[in-house]
Amino acid sequence: MSAATGARGRTADARRWIVVAGVVVAILVVSAALILFAGADPLTGLRGLVEGVSSSPYRVGELLVGAVPIAIIALTLIPALRAGVFSVGAEGQVTIGAILATAAILGLRGWLGEGAPSVLFWIAGAAAGAAGGALYALLPALLAVRWQVNEILSTLLLNYVAVGILGLSLRTWLASGEQTATPQSERLPEAAAIPDLIPGTRAHWGVVLVLVVAVLLAWWQRTSGSARLTVFASRPKLASRLGTTRARTIYGTMLVSGAGAGIVGWIQVAGVGERLLGSVAGGVGFSGIAVALLGALLPAGIVVAALFFSALAAGAVGMQSATGTVPSSIAEVIKGVLVLGVACIAAVQRRPAAVVAPAGEPAASDEPPVAGPGAGAPVEETAGLGTDAGEP
Amino acid sequence: MTLELWVSILAGAVALATPLVIAGIGEGFVERAGRINLGIEGMMILGALAGVFAASLAGPVVGLAAGAAVGILLAFLMNVVVHRLHANEIVVGVAITMLGLGLSTYLFQLWVPSGRTNVSVETVPPTPLGPLADIPVLGPVLFAQSLLVYAAVLLLVAAWAVMRWTRFGLRVRAVGADPVSAALRGVRTRAVGARALLIGGALAGVAGAAITVGSIGSFTPGVTAGRGYVVLAVVIMGRMSPIGIALGALLFAFLQSFSLLSQSVALPLPSELYQALPYVVTLVVLVLTSRAAMRRAAGRARTS
Repeated sequence: MSAATGARGRTADARRWIVVAGVVVAILVVSAALILFAGADPLTGLRGLVEGVSSSPYRVGELLVGAVPIAIIALTLIPALRAGVFSVGAEGQVTIGAILATAAILGLRGWLGEGAPSVLFWIAGAAAGAAGGALYALLPALLAVRWQVNEILSTLLLNYVAVGILGLSLRTWLASGEQTATPQSERLPEAAAIPDLIPGTRAHWGVVLVLVVAVLLAWWQRTSGSARLTVFASRPKLASRLGTTRARTIYGTMLVSGAGAGIVGWIQVAGVGERLLGSVAGGVGFSGIAVALLGALLPAGIVVAALFFSALAAGAVGMQSATGTVPSSIAEVIKGVLVLGVACIAAVQRRPAAVVAPAGEPAASDEPPVAGPGAGAPVEETAGLGTDAGEP
Repeated sequence: MTLELWVSILAGAVALATPLVIAGIGEGFVERAGRINLGIEGMMILGALAGVFAASLAGPVVGLAAGAAVGILLAFLMNVVVHRLHANEIVVGVAITMLGLGLSTYLFQLWVPSGRTNVSVETVPPTPLGPLADIPVLGPVLFAQSLLVYAAVLLLVAAWAVMRWTRFGLRVRAVGADPVSAALRGVRTRAVGARALLIGGALAGVAGAAITVGSIGSFTPGVTAGRGYVVLAVVIMGRMSPIGIALGALLFAFLQSFSLLSQSVALPLPSELYQALPYVVTLVVLVLTSRAAMRRAAGRARTS
């Protein structure tokens, strides 16, 4: 028996390495093909990529600035994804968080004047942002708990509603009053800005916040709460006996991810933009989900993956200027291939995280898990929806 | 609001519903087979780009075919990754959408570098159906549309017939309703699901091409604007039946058409409200359908 398991373990190991190597090769081949298709030399492109990331301290600062929002969104998504709650609404939650943070900061200035202490501005902005994001996540959570509305669809649709709310806010109650080409809010007071961490760059104290959140989540993952969420993902009925009901799980995890995304909204206006713009979310929500998966739902992995994603975006701009023909949107293509690769790698992992588990694992059923890979053939065919296989 | 305005709003709604109906029919097959295609947005937008590119070389029909080809290609990729490599269908769908959005932008920027004027192609022209088009109100709304609209209606009937009367349709329904029993009766559930996804991909690609080649005549990055996700919602709303899908698509398209045409003359509400309205109403109807489905399930549980 043990010899058989050993042999099976070895084949699984070999398969794992083949898949990982295949994914790496595929990403390199696709990138090179894209550059060649644009009529440029892949090596010139690679040099541009590296220079775009590391050629000056300012560039390194930009790398950190870009990684902060993605990392915070991905980190606060860990509980939701671990429980198999696939919320795709970070984009909209960032937007609503940014609107409320801007309103709170401008309101505080109206109340206390320009000279109000910075700490008050920071607390007001962060709290309002978190509240906005959490409130906007509460709606899909409520719909999922009360009427079993698929949270993937409701959060996706709400992202578009958030765009409308932002546009309306920028044109009416938050409008700057100046004549500008694109709608924008008034400039935030100097005291409200998140201070720079590294002089001479735009890297701000949000970088430290990422580390704090990462440590908090690393600690949380060792608690029984985290374990119960993992149980919920695979055996909801057992989890509910342990006190982790469906309602509590969905509300809890979506509020955490919503608050995280809302704080990112505050960081984007107070740390980067200095005012609220129409482009405040700018795709960080979707990158956050991709990074959470790429980092295998582990805090350290996510921080590294966020830096990598940010480097990809910064490097692609470098590549564009080095080659002259390769559009920087090459980064978006590579991100898509990356997430595809992550899904393949997750399928051969020994203990895949709930949401990235291969379809056909008993994702949300209370049936006993099948004995081994060989015994699971008929069950494998029952590939279900994963996150809402419990629904009628 | 005058009658003419209402007629043009309704005619616009029928035209705007067409891509949603086409993609919705495909997604109907996919969801009937118990799967979900979250890559539909990516397939649509890449189909939209391929459609304009091919149409600029060889005319609108080739454009639509190119859209279908791109959709099939992406669906094939999704099948391989989900079935051969056992990856999670939802994550793969999200990845396909990211890939489609990125690749369409990248290839478009290579094709039309910034600063150059956008390539525009001839759209599918409206074809009035003889005397039927002269009926007041109904004529211009239903019978003076482009060939694409009539094709979508035929497709709807064909999909219904396939689902109802063919062996393949029966298998798709069996696999979706009870995969274990279907497998025990000798249905190759995986192959059926894979074929359903290929149909879904092809129609998603055609739908993307129908947006650009059918009405706009040119491509811009992000031109599908989340309509793939609306299709997913519409299919759930319509309980996967062709009629339900068509009605859901018409509801969304009506609100969109209404917001496009009425904001200048009608109620002086902010334009952002009009733009967000279709998504809000889609969500509300989704809630109502989910609620009704729960009630039905509860009713069944009581009687059995």
